[in-house]
Amino acid sequence: MQTSITFVLDDKLQTIDCASSGWITPTTTALNYLRGLPTHKGVKEGCAEGDCGACTVVLGELGNDRTIRYKSVDACLVLLPMLHGKQVITVENLRTDRGELHPVQDAMVETNGSQCGYCTPGFIMSMFSLYKNRDHPSRAEIEDALTGNLCRCTGYKPIVEAAAKSCVHRGLDHFSEREPHVVELLESISKESIHLRTSNQLYMKPASVQEAITLKHQHADAIIVCGATDVALRITKKHELLEKIIDVSDLSELKTIAESEAGVSIGAGASLSDIMPVAEKNFPALYSMLTVFGSQQIRNLASLGGNLGTASPIGDMLPVLIAYHARVTLESLDGRREIPINTFITGYRKTLRRSDELITAIVIPNLNGGIVVRSYKISKRKDLDISTVNGSFRLELDGNQEVKAIMLVYGGMAERVKQAETCERFLLGKRWVRKTIENAMPLMEKDFSPISDARAGTEMRTVAAKNLLMKFWGETTGALIDNQLLSM
Amino acid sequence: MENNIPHESAAKHVSGEAVYVDDILVNDQLLVGRVVYSSHAHAKVKSFDLSQAKKVPGVHMVMCFQDIPGHNQMGPVVKDEICLAIDEVTFVGQAIFLIAAETEEQCINAERLIKVEYEPFEAILTLEKAIEKNLLLGPPSTIKRGDVDSALKKAPHTLRGELRTGAQEHWYLESQVCLCIPGEGREINVYSSTQHPSETQALIAELLGIGKHEVIVEVRRMGGAFGGKETQANHTACWTALLCWATKRPVKIRLFRDDDMKITGKRHRFLSKYEVGFDDEGKLLTAKFELNSDGGAAVDLSFAIMQRAMLHADNAYYIPDFSVMGRVFKTNLPSNTAFRGFGGPQGMAVIETVIDRVARYLKKDPAEIRVKNFYGLESNNVTHYGETIENNRLFMIYEQLITSSEYHNRRRSVNEFNASNEFFKKGLAITPVKFGISFTTSFLNQAGALVIIYKDGSILVNHGGTEMGQGLHTKIQQVAAAELGVSLDRVKVNATNTSKVPNTSATAASAGADLNGMAVKNAIDILKSRIAETMAHIFSEQYHDDPTFRDSIVFENDSIIDSKHPNRRVSFTEAIPLLHLHQVPLSATGFYKTPNIGWDKQKGFGKPFHYYAFGMAVTEVLLDILTGHHTIVRTDILHDVGDSLNEGIDIGQVEGGYIQGVGWCTTEEIKWDDKGNLMTHSPDTYKIPSVQDIPRDFRTALLRGVPNPDTIRKSKAVAEPPLMLALSCWLAIKDAISAVANHQFEPEFSLPATNEVILLSIEKLKKNMEERITLDFVVQR
Repeated sequence: MQTSITFVLDDKLQTIDCASSGWITPTTTALNYLRGLPTHKGVKEGCAEGDCGACTVVLGELGNDRTIRYKSVDACLVLLPMLHGKQVITVENLRTDRGELHPVQDAMVETNGSQCGYCTPGFIMSMFSLYKNRDHPSRAEIEDALTGNLCRCTGYKPIVEAAAKSCVHRGLDHFSEREPHVVELLESISKESIHLRTSNQLYMKPASVQEAITLKHQHADAIIVCGATDVALRITKKHELLEKIIDVSDLSELKTIAESEAGVSIGAGASLSDIMPVAEKNFPALYSMLTVFGSQQIRNLASLGGNLGTASPIGDMLPVLIAYHARVTLESLDGRREIPINTFITGYRKTLRRSDELITAIVIPNLNGGIVVRSYKISKRKDLDISTVNGSFRLELDGNQEVKAIMLVYGGMAERVKQAETCERFLLGKRWVRKTIENAMPLMEKDFSPISDARAGTEMRTVAAKNLLMKFWGETTGALIDNQLLSM
Repeated sequence: MENNIPHESAAKHVSGEAVYVDDILVNDQLLVGRVVYSSHAHAKVKSFDLSQAKKVPGVHMVMCFQDIPGHNQMGPVVKDEICLAIDEVTFVGQAIFLIAAETEEQCINAERLIKVEYEPFEAILTLEKAIEKNLLLGPPSTIKRGDVDSALKKAPHTLRGELRTGAQEHWYLESQVCLCIPGEGREINVYSSTQHPSETQALIAELLGIGKHEVIVEVRRMGGAFGGKETQANHTACWTALLCWATKRPVKIRLFRDDDMKITGKRHRFLSKYEVGFDDEGKLLTAKFELNSDGGAAVDLSFAIMQRAMLHADNAYYIPDFSVMGRVFKTNLPSNTAFRGFGGPQGMAVIETVIDRVARYLKKDPAEIRVKNFYGLESNNVTHYGETIENNRLFMIYEQLITSSEYHNRRRSVNEFNASNEFFKKGLAITPVKFGISFTTSFLNQAGALVIIYKDGSILVNHGGTEMGQGLHTKIQQVAAAELGVSLDRVKVNATNTSKVPNTSATAASAGADLNGMAVKNAIDILKSRIAETMAHIFSEQYHDDPTFRDSIVFENDSIIDSKHPNRRVSFTEAIPLLHLHQVPLSATGFYKTPNIGWDKQKGFGKPFHYYAFGMAVTEVLLDILTGHHTIVRTDILHDVGDSLNEGIDIGQVEGGYIQGVGWCTTEEIKWDDKGNLMTHSPDTYKIPSVQDIPRDFRTALLRGVPNPDTIRKSKAVAEPPLMLALSCWLAIKDAISAVANHQFEPEFSLPATNEVILLSIEKLKKNMEERITLDFVVQR
């Protein structure tokens, strides 16, 4: 067992022992750590909640093929021990040894992509991640890579241009040249489990699921961290002292995505980014929700297990998982059990998970032919925003175009995710025609009495819930929606 | 002049090397400061206890109002903003105590131990309530031409209505921050992210009870400001200075994002009422506007902002009989403040709504109504406040943009699209901007500079303007290099510093380059005249037979040359030490004040503006009427910056201003709860535009061949005016909503047009269609 963490920074191994290093604690964020150094002030704090991207850094993770995967993350949402075994790249590392700017930096200068410059290091790092991962990216790919970065000065156009201009060298740069050296450094870092103990905190990073379950058995009061995009806010925004943490973010066993004829089992720790390819192939409604979920920086950290485990009332993944009849796998020393997702969450931040259990997987059954699932999200801003209202719908029609089975699952309409049961009952057995939908829409008022909050008022939520049913009908029948528009 | 150069700090920005206040390396004596603020919107502070907080290990200081050595005040114009509350708080976020400790955690722990007993009073939290109670922050004012009431009676058609425009949070990426380092004796060095170093200096001096000469304020750059650091950077600076004075240690306060959003003021929300008379052709005959703004708990710049709103309520349109009344109301919210446009957007939103309604009423294309009402070139060219519009570019821009944007073809395609789609609608709008350039408080239109030539021929330019990303220092560097005929790399623009250039105005009103560019030119002219005199003398000594006269000395290609005898030349590098030997003073101060302006606030008459900046935008949106989501399909902008000092920078200002305006018009919504707590206090709930929100096709051009007389290198200000081009996006959304009812009904509409506003407006239209009720507010004669 190790009592310190090690990562690569500035091409050197950096070892940190929280017990002996004054200001650094196990829950210090990567942002505060880096800004605490005299040499990495380029990493900026804009919001400390993952919404602005000014603190974007790139993490290099060692793959099984001895190459490095480069992922952009918000340093404000990364707890220091999550850096263990990884390479941390900040904006200061992008110039070559000779002082030349990296192609993404050069392009930003050329296109006037910076004005006040405060968001710029974050954009540069998101663009660097894009540079390493996509050659000649499309505009959609560029925008997806930059959605997590806010700029208040430029209006973004020159930044998009800079990305298009620079990401054309198949990812080659001085990092490619030095990669073998960094791989060696990363391989030299021990994979043993870690316990960081200070006078008032215990941070455990188990090396296997078995160990994690055992730890959870011993420390029922420990908080499970799996990506930290939600837990980190308790530190940065509420200034809570988290006394005991079991961090399963890097357990490779929890990152497996297994496809079978029956469906797909997604490891609870797989990042949302890792899930996107299989979602695109098998579960388009899940995929469409993922594309408007957070930002790339957040999806690179966040996991389905974490999203379900926190049982946040604003967890945008839940309705669509319910509509797909997904199940949660829980493991403890007593064994394994599976729970349908719609019964798993019982209230505000409450679930059926026992305190000694760990979410290990989410199983999504494949759809039988004829069943349609779609998801919709209404938010004030289309991207990197939490739903005002979202709806995920599942429909099965019989040969007479009559409703054989239907689920209308809504988020944002009640304290927790809720089905429009009156509406569903009404629709059952009816013909799937516009008149039916128009008659069903007013019933939403029986199903929901939504709140008024910072995102929207009661009336708007009710209108939106009704409209989404109409939209679903329109899309399933294809009658009234111009398909060309949907791609816009 | 070298024009297309990148921002002078671009390479530093992209490499993370640019130093902002929070990045300045300070020794390990630095303390972290924290402001503790009111949790009540309006209450009496009955008692408080700081004793437990003071005991927290690592805490060096916990201060309250009693510990202030000088004047407990930080109001910029009117002295109505107490630095630390005494016995009453008037908004959530008002500072009461200050803490300095070795770490942020210690500050937070100490804050948790402060006990305050409040006695809550009634709080006024809406503009409607403040109007109902007539809680004015100061006297109302009116600008008026003609007899509006009788003109309204005579007009063939009249419309009336009201419009709400929302507040807007600046959302500069760098939150408010200040670092103070004590010097010897009473000296204090202040590194503040402020647009107005001289005011920051003055307020700190008064607060500490010391002379201004003891306070040095320096600003290298800001991470965005947009008006939010014109007066309200002072607050954080004052608090930091107090803690620095009390602890005799370096202290830094950087507001956490949520605190920044809760504590600082926003763009003023307005509730405006209008009544307008027009003829069958849509020509405006008369208008009567009543503008009401939410000033918040203190005056700040509210009256100057209201004034600018009133001076822009005409926008680009000639209205023969026109009166605008403006009132600023007091509420128990943070004092609202400057924000790019400074009232202009709120004023323009009203008249643009009027034009839009007139067009819908007459069933004409709004573009046609707009051009029909533009100020004329020769006649109908005097504003309601008496300024004659010279160099009117409206028609020039309109004609070029209508053609380049293919407006008329696209209007037809939009109509066709709407006829054949039920769940998606398109909208199209063109809107103009005419924006007056100058501070309306005329004496503020002055600037100073200090230009230094060192013996190695390197040049350091100091001026009173601050760099917040707008590229001011880049433009100044270009101007200085061009005026001295030297290469750019010879010129460095220094951090703004009150000990170099004193008594400056805020970098605001879009006038940074206009004022400071001229002041720098003035300093350089003085230097050149001295140098020319001595160089003429030196050349004449070398060539006795045919002397060199000072008037023939020119500065070009990094050399000083006798233009009559081109062989008499000396490189700048060689000349400077020579001039030093000849005892020529190689530094000079420069000064500039804007000529020929004058404005009588009381009468509401005069020439407040040196000139006007013009621009126009055409925006097309696609609206999903079931979700209320819109996409900006295409935007075409043509904007007038005179002879651009730097095209890359100017286009960046235009595009960035437009998108910031789009945010104000669409997704940026500020909400307070019924206790006066800001609900939208983080980017989680407050949504500025992201990269996905920009036009799918974004075409920006600068108007060519129109030099601006009587400004620095014939340029025009840029900064603010383009923000208001976004009204075209707002009205395009309204056009799309209106299409739901085939333009037969006037849609309910306000600003921002969030998807909530959009969906509810559509619901209302659907009801109207069902009930076939007629237009609501129309009075037909």
